Amino acid sequence: MSTTFFVTGLSHHQAPVEVRERLVVDEDKLREILADLTAREVVAEVVVLSTCNRVEMYGTAEAPGEARAAGFRHLGAHRGVPLADLEPLLYTKTDDDAIRHLFRVTASLDSMLVGEPQITGQVKDAFALAQASGTVGSVLHAAMTQAFNVAKKVRNETGIGRHAVSLSFAAVELARKIFGSLDGKSVLFVGAGEMGELAARHMSEQGALPPYVANRTAARAEALARELGGTAVPFEHATRLLAEVDIAIASTAAPEPIVRAADVRAALAGRGTRPLFLIDLGVPRNVDPVVAGLDGAFCYDVDDLRAVVEANLRERAREAQRAEVVVGREVARFAARLRDLEVVPTIVSLRDKLETMRLAEVERALARLPGATAETRQALEALSQAIVNKVLHAPIVKLKDSSRAGHGRRWTETVSELFGLRRGGGEPGA
Amino acid sequence: MNAVLFDVALTGYILAALAAVTALPGRRERLAGIAETLCGAGWVCHTVSLAMRWMETGRPPVLTLAEGVSVVIWAVVAWQLWAARRSEDRVLGVFVLPVVLVLGLLLPTGLRTMALPPSAASGWIWAHVGLALMGLAALVLNFAGALMYLLQERQLKGRRPGAWYYRLPALDTLDRLSLRTLTVGFPFLTAGLALGMIWAGPSVGPVLSRDPLAAFSLVMWVVYALTLAGRAVGQWHGRRAAWLAVAGFCTLLLTLGAGVVVQGRHGS
Repeated sequence: MSTTFFVTGLSHHQAPVEVRERLVVDEDKLREILADLTAREVVAEVVVLSTCNRVEMYGTAEAPGEARAAGFRHLGAHRGVPLADLEPLLYTKTDDDAIRHLFRVTASLDSMLVGEPQITGQVKDAFALAQASGTVGSVLHAAMTQAFNVAKKVRNETGIGRHAVSLSFAAVELARKIFGSLDGKSVLFVGAGEMGELAARHMSEQGALPPYVANRTAARAEALARELGGTAVPFEHATRLLAEVDIAIASTAAPEPIVRAADVRAALAGRGTRPLFLIDLGVPRNVDPVVAGLDGAFCYDVDDLRAVVEANLRERAREAQRAEVVVGREVARFAARLRDLEVVPTIVSLRDKLETMRLAEVERALARLPGATAETRQALEALSQAIVNKVLHAPIVKLKDSSRAGHGRRWTETVSELFGLRRGGGEPGA
Repeated sequence: MNAVLFDVALTGYILAALAAVTALPGRRERLAGIAETLCGAGWVCHTVSLAMRWMETGRPPVLTLAEGVSVVIWAVVAWQLWAARRSEDRVLGVFVLPVVLVLGLLLPTGLRTMALPPSAASGWIWAHVGLALMGLAALVLNFAGALMYLLQERQLKGRRPGAWYYRLPALDTLDRLSLRTLTVGFPFLTAGLALGMIWAGPSVGPVLSRDPLAAFSLVMWVVYALTLAGRAVGQWHGRRAAWLAVAGFCTLLLTLGAGVVVQGRHGS
């Protein structure tokens, strides 16, 4: 009846993409694998997590090594990857280490881009699939539920996912640091290019007004404006618009700056108290570098944005350290719960067994006492109850203590053996 | 007893300021929480100390310079606690508490040696002092906001974000904070000073020339009036307004300092 909580698999840390891509399987195939593993009793419970960065099995099994071999033979067979090729890349962790791994993965601490939130959703999907396939028992259920709680906690208590890791989002964040909210802010987009378009789109999503779009080719401006839901303006008017807009994104292939210092000076003079945020995505630069020094203007070129992203990544790494502390605390707490979970079935069956005995013996005694009064009956009940409780006291305390000390499994076996408890009794998910 | 309590409160603020400043760069949430608790506990002691002083003397505790500064600190800390609670933004304390401590250190000899001023209290004085003190409290916040603005602007202008970039609110938020504290503080200050002058009546000339606190407070008023006028006209915003707030706070310190050093009607 003794099973171990384990995780086994491979991830972007060791396994190259050529291997990972060959392990990708569709949902139907996954269902088949889940069903087969439990049917053959290689595992008691199992969830398979398959994303482009990791393929992992979480579960409980008597022999995690066997589960690992069986699972990955299956997963590899689909595209003809022999198990021997996978073996050197696979890791297996058990008990507390496995719990820590699950919590870290779900909270996006083990991701390629630490703090990116998709992985939590992918774990949820994997869990749902396993639940639908009936391969989730009480241990995995508790572990997964707790993993989602921990992920939420990490998200709320640390800034791990807070800072942009793409140039276009970094630009939006900077705009928010200048203007507070982007509600009602007007945007001018000069030129074309994916990064600029993305930045303009993100700004609109955050409440900025539909952008003005200018391009040397009028038709191009029209098309882009339609795509972004904005207004096309003649290219010559773009610099004049600088006096009105709050944010200007420049992304043209012009060999010389198209936004000159004189234009910006004139624009700033006419705009009163509002700052002007210029995002220069052109290489060579579209905005005269002098502009960055003007009072009231904030100008970021591609290198500046890259520096912001790098600072954001460092900030995420610092937040990740705080997140590790949160995870460490939660692992300790959950491991204790899991160990209790380990001895609880034994305690329950021990109680059940003695209670059944007690009731039978009381009945037998009463049968031999035909004239028994209610008082006699009560006294017998109390007497037998007291004996049972006294007998049970020491083993139950021992089981609980040993579970907390980490060797509950040995004692559940001993106690089951001593009291002749049914093997596998109360084992979850079996 | 109220002097002891005041010292306890001040110690609470000092520890809170230290904890808040240490907690910030390392993102040590628990320490930041401790700072808030210390600050709150200090404020409760402070409140009790002011109330006891009031009961002891039978008049509001605003008649001496030390009492006045104490009330300003009390109001500023109250606002800071409230703002931190509301926005969960603990960065405010990092700026407000040290400013409060600068004021606290100005307190001449603490509350315990203060005597009643000889002048008889009338209705005028409560209005004069109360309004001026509330104005000062708002202007102290105005200074803390300006400091934050200047730091954040430097970060954004420098284009290489450091720790402050992540911790401080948006520029616009900080500019609004300094505008709001100015528009609240200035009318109070103006009304307070005006009442003082009316109260002085015909002797206003001699008072202004002999009492440095009164004279400096007029300079301070002019600086803040200029800032507000500049903002109203539309051009003195952001960095310029922030530097003016710094200048205004310097005159505020000079005013209080003059009151401490030189004997006058407001003297220590």
